Amino acid sequence: MNSQIAAILTMDGVATGAIYVLIALGFVLIFAVTRIIFVPFGDITTFTALTLADLEAKRLPGTASMIAVLAVVATLMQVTALLRAGAANGIPRALLYYLALPLIPVAIVSATAGTLLPAPLRILFTVVLILPLGPLLNRIVFWPIADASVLLLLIVSVALHFALVGMGLFFFGPEGVRTRGLVDFSAEIAGTVVSGETLLIIGSAAFFSLLLYLFFNFTLYGKALHATAMNRTGARLMGIRPQQSGTIAFLLGSLLAAASGVLIAPVDTLFYDSGFLIGLKAFVGAIIGGLVSFPVTAIGSVFIGVFESFAAFESSPFKEVIVFSILIPVLLWRSYSFVQPEDEADE
Amino acid sequence: MRRFVLGFAAFIALAFGSSAASAQDITVGFVTSLSGPASSIGLNYEKGMNAAYAYQSEVGGHKINLIKLDDASDPSAATELARKLVEQNHIDLMIGTSSAPGTNAMLTAANELKVPLIGISPVNVPIPASGHPWGIAVPQTPNLMVKVIADRMKRDGIKTVGFIGFADSWGDLVYNGAKAAEKNGDPEVTSNERYSRTDTSVTAQALKVIATKPDALLDGGSATQAALPLIEMRKLGFKGNFYGTPALLNRDFIRIGGSAAEGVQVSAGPVLVTSQLPDSHFSKKIGTAFHEVFKKVNNAEADDGFSGYSFDGWLIFLNAAKVALKTARPGTPEFHEALMQAIYADKDLAGVHAIYNFTPRSYYGVDERSLVVVKLVNGKWVYQP
Amino acid sequence: MNARTTKLVAVAAVLALFAAPYYMAPFTITLLNYIGVYSFVALGLVLLTGIAGIVSFGQASFMGIAAYATAWSSALMGYSPWLGLVLAVVVTCTVAAIVGLATLRLQGHFLSLSTIAWGLALYYTFGNIAGLGAYNGIGSIPPVSIGAFRLADSGQIFYLIWGSLLLSFLAAHNLLDSRMGRAMRALRGGNTLVASLGINALHIRLATFVIAALLAALSGWLYAHMSRFVSPTPFDVTMSIVFLMMAMIGGSGYLLGALVGAALITLLKNWIQDILPLISPGSSGQLEIVVFSVLFIVFLQRARDGIVPYVAQWLPAPRQQKPLAAEAMPRRAQPEKGGVLMTVDAASRHFGGLVAVNNVSFDVHANEILALIGPNGAGKTTMFNLITGTLRASAGHIVFAGKDVTRASACAIARAGVARTFQHVKLRPRMSLIDNVLLGAYNRTRAGLFASALRLDRPEEYRARSEAIRQLERVGLGDRPYDLAGNLPLGNQRLLEIARALAADPVLLVLDEPAAGLRRQEKLKLTELLRTLRAEGLSILLVEHDMDFVMALVDRVVVMDFGCKLCEGAPEIVCADARVQEAYLGGVA
Repeated sequence: MNSQIAAILTMDGVATGAIYVLIALGFVLIFAVTRIIFVPFGDITTFTALTLADLEAKRLPGTASMIAVLAVVATLMQVTALLRAGAANGIPRALLYYLALPLIPVAIVSATAGTLLPAPLRILFTVVLILPLGPLLNRIVFWPIADASVLLLLIVSVALHFALVGMGLFFFGPEGVRTRGLVDFSAEIAGTVVSGETLLIIGSAAFFSLLLYLFFNFTLYGKALHATAMNRTGARLMGIRPQQSGTIAFLLGSLLAAASGVLIAPVDTLFYDSGFLIGLKAFVGAIIGGLVSFPVTAIGSVFIGVFESFAAFESSPFKEVIVFSILIPVLLWRSYSFVQPEDEADE
Repeated sequence: MRRFVLGFAAFIALAFGSSAASAQDITVGFVTSLSGPASSIGLNYEKGMNAAYAYQSEVGGHKINLIKLDDASDPSAATELARKLVEQNHIDLMIGTSSAPGTNAMLTAANELKVPLIGISPVNVPIPASGHPWGIAVPQTPNLMVKVIADRMKRDGIKTVGFIGFADSWGDLVYNGAKAAEKNGDPEVTSNERYSRTDTSVTAQALKVIATKPDALLDGGSATQAALPLIEMRKLGFKGNFYGTPALLNRDFIRIGGSAAEGVQVSAGPVLVTSQLPDSHFSKKIGTAFHEVFKKVNNAEADDGFSGYSFDGWLIFLNAAKVALKTARPGTPEFHEALMQAIYADKDLAGVHAIYNFTPRSYYGVDERSLVVVKLVNGKWVYQP
Repeated sequence: MNARTTKLVAVAAVLALFAAPYYMAPFTITLLNYIGVYSFVALGLVLLTGIAGIVSFGQASFMGIAAYATAWSSALMGYSPWLGLVLAVVVTCTVAAIVGLATLRLQGHFLSLSTIAWGLALYYTFGNIAGLGAYNGIGSIPPVSIGAFRLADSGQIFYLIWGSLLLSFLAAHNLLDSRMGRAMRALRGGNTLVASLGINALHIRLATFVIAALLAALSGWLYAHMSRFVSPTPFDVTMSIVFLMMAMIGGSGYLLGALVGAALITLLKNWIQDILPLISPGSSGQLEIVVFSVLFIVFLQRARDGIVPYVAQWLPAPRQQKPLAAEAMPRRAQPEKGGVLMTVDAASRHFGGLVAVNNVSFDVHANEILALIGPNGAGKTTMFNLITGTLRASAGHIVFAGKDVTRASACAIARAGVARTFQHVKLRPRMSLIDNVLLGAYNRTRAGLFASALRLDRPEEYRARSEAIRQLERVGLGDRPYDLAGNLPLGNQRLLEIARALAADPVLLVLDEPAAGLRRQEKLKLTELLRTLRAEGLSILLVEHDMDFVMALVDRVVVMDFGCKLCEGAPEIVCADARVQEAYLGGVA
């Protein structure tokens, strides 16, 4: 291996790592507020890419009908809960948030899908269509078990991932997609040509890491969101509504996933099941950050990308083995430097 | 304890469901991967089977019952489904599945249950020591697929070829085929890099291949992601030719591969370029009929290699059933035996892919007439005689 | 229902099961075979996840190791499948031991994530070893033979599968009913509790982990010789998750849950496969997994604990009888009265910049009751943690019975004869009173894994149970020993903790606020009990806030404030000390 190859591999690793950063940030964001390890995050990213590809091909994406169905189910659940609690006056608000708002993008996309809109509009509609997915899934799947242990939430998360992958195959078929390029220029860095989209991804990764770091550590609202993950009852006693925090976290998460999907789709062929493996590797990065620190997560994810690149060069059949095997020492290191509170004893 | 007994009794009651078909119908089980990693190929097989069933759904006055099941790209599920079809649905013959390991698994079950299997993916299971095997494989052997394209490489003056393929059974098969061809005088294989379908980048693998300075590249991937190494190699400045197998015959491969894939040459069954074949070609007539019924049933062109295998498998079955019905009734073990013997007795059956001749000494039944070389020109596959 | 009816029903069920190949359709037998094979793994998960609280996403990998081991040895090397069994078990358990040693120190969700990691690593390793067929797998695996008799048919291997499954269930049931089983159940109470009982948490976790791997290995061996084809796909993380689902749906806290879960999921999959094409013909394959997952999510939302407990609610609870008296267990020799039992010498502990215990020295004499008092935040509980080894001292020494225990682990100190109770009660709420107390007697019994599984531990177990009843009666909780500990009011829970501490036959009893939450009459009875214990030779160190209780009972008092020792001596002297009055007791004596 000479220095030129090392440079190419590093650049390639950073490009891949930047993709992992975006997804890892999403994991940390959702976990920091809700204690849910949201495995389907990668799947939402993939759905965004597949939806955008469908719009480019002038087809109505299956996402629209999925959002519509989820909206109806969530509304029914919310209305039933309100009626049971005797809070029927909350119903109009519930209808607005769970039914009307998600259905607006569905209607727009259904109406315009047959024509090829200009690129910015396409991207906007895709993002707005995907946006309700996170909060709706939160309402339907996680709200009833919001106080359960981290492990139960993890298992439900995994089951949800399977369901989403199955829906992805059903709506989008088994073939991969790559959308049209977002920008046209490319730059030469360290002897290799780097496309504009890759630079955009790296830039966005840095931008979002910084933004989330500042938000959660320096704003009152961010700290309040974080508090609900630490102790739901305590947060409620302080006037913070855990359920609302969860919804906001998932909304932000959806936004981040949608942005990632839009950015990744031009550089990478995404399949209906790409979300899982990409998500897993991004997850290693999130663990490096202890599921709590955004800057360390970003650095960790880039490290994973570079590590994978070099591992693939050394022995490509075994690269997955290598990448996942390093998760174990990382976990060991992390668990020593992160003393668990003793109240982890359940029942 | 009481709970155990109650639960057990309930479970026995539940387990007693089974479907029944009319006694005179012939029942065929079809297993393919409609989900999981092999689904992109599996769905093509399904479309081919749809066309086949529409082409002819009864034989010798008997209606054919087709049961379609999904093995989710899991070979152990394929085994279970094979057993289920035989034990629960009492099939006369089975056809399947979309991956080599899955078909191997079904073949193992077929040999054991003594029910014929028409395999539509490559197999490599040992022939049973006594009696005859209970299955055949429709496709060309992977070694043959690679040999044909390796011969073409030699004809084009290529001396060394690099290899990038999937980290799965298909990649293994192509690589082994290339090594076998190398022994027979075809180009030397200089590398064995692998990647997986969900990888975001193959830069590292491409760099390693380029470092071995080959004249050309053999692509051991399949479907859409087979385009990834081609794009990467071109980006890194590789100027040599690209070659591949019938697994690259895929619409999305062409779309994603774009300019990088332009000019790639692959070995392919004649069904792909039926319209470009001379009228005297053995597959012209049946191929044209196939394309017509495919378009009608599936609302799309048959522009992949896989659907043709299902169709040819069906043709083999139809011919065998016609003969077997003369000596045995459907739903009996004698019918299974009769079907198998009829398959072996059938000579020179012209299908959309090949001319078929099966013997008990091998699972495969095609020769070099079953493959042509096609080149991707302006997004279309062009016959290269 | 009484024991005899249960036995009759059990025999009838087993007979019905073993006659099954004669009256059931062949495919049903095939399904039953798969259910049996999967139940092994699910049983392992019940022990590992349900009982010991370790969520593992990697059990299918162990199944894979075993399946490949036997496939290699019998199909590729030509040896007998029985040799394949030995190889499979040895290789799988060795790998499990190595992985366990590396990762079982992790806690909670870190541990589960590590199981995903090695599960995936193993899957990709299987697929890449050319000698094992790589992704093409190994076929034509020979069937198991007993002598000349080949178990090739579904109906034949059925007996092997279900026979060994029933034996495994029996062994697991025996194991759970023994001291090892109680130790496994204690794991979920947290490391502090487990160490304070003198139980080495890592050993127990490792043992449970290897047992679960062993069960998975049996499953893999049977699977390979039943389906006669192995490839990597059935051993990936997805399958591990399905196994976990089986255990959870059945009821992960119950052995029967493994069987119920495996049966339910296998039958459900089969049923969905048949039904779905009728409902939506074109797209059945893709929707199968969706239907499955949605059902699972709904299930977890409604019945987190699984089916078996849900159903068991409606069945009458088994009646338990008090154990018969048995021979008493041997007791430790107590030290001579008057000598020094424990010395704390200039002990300090800081947490970053906060000094919780600052250069504190005092002695505990043999056969005395010593109280540690002081305002809240004085560092008393921290001091206790230093003495019992839960925390390590930053400076200073602690000597117990002549040995320096400053660096000793909590487990070692507990075994040396120090038993403690906690300020926030640490019990196992879902275990019975007698089981909780038996946890304390862990180190006075000896039966290991094999003895427990084979039911050879009964004599020792009866003696231990008799001892536990004795301790329960001593603290006044002896009348309903099979009630669940979580149902007791707080005061009685504290008494239960004391009973558990006494069951360990300690030399030094360390009690953290034993009288908190007790009414006056109960406090008087507790005083009586502690005096009796002192008369028997026990030494007691306690923290309390009720001064009447303390001053009437103890021999000497040590006062702490802001981490420092203020004063030490007989109760009257301490009460009269001006500094103590100012800091804690109040002015007028």
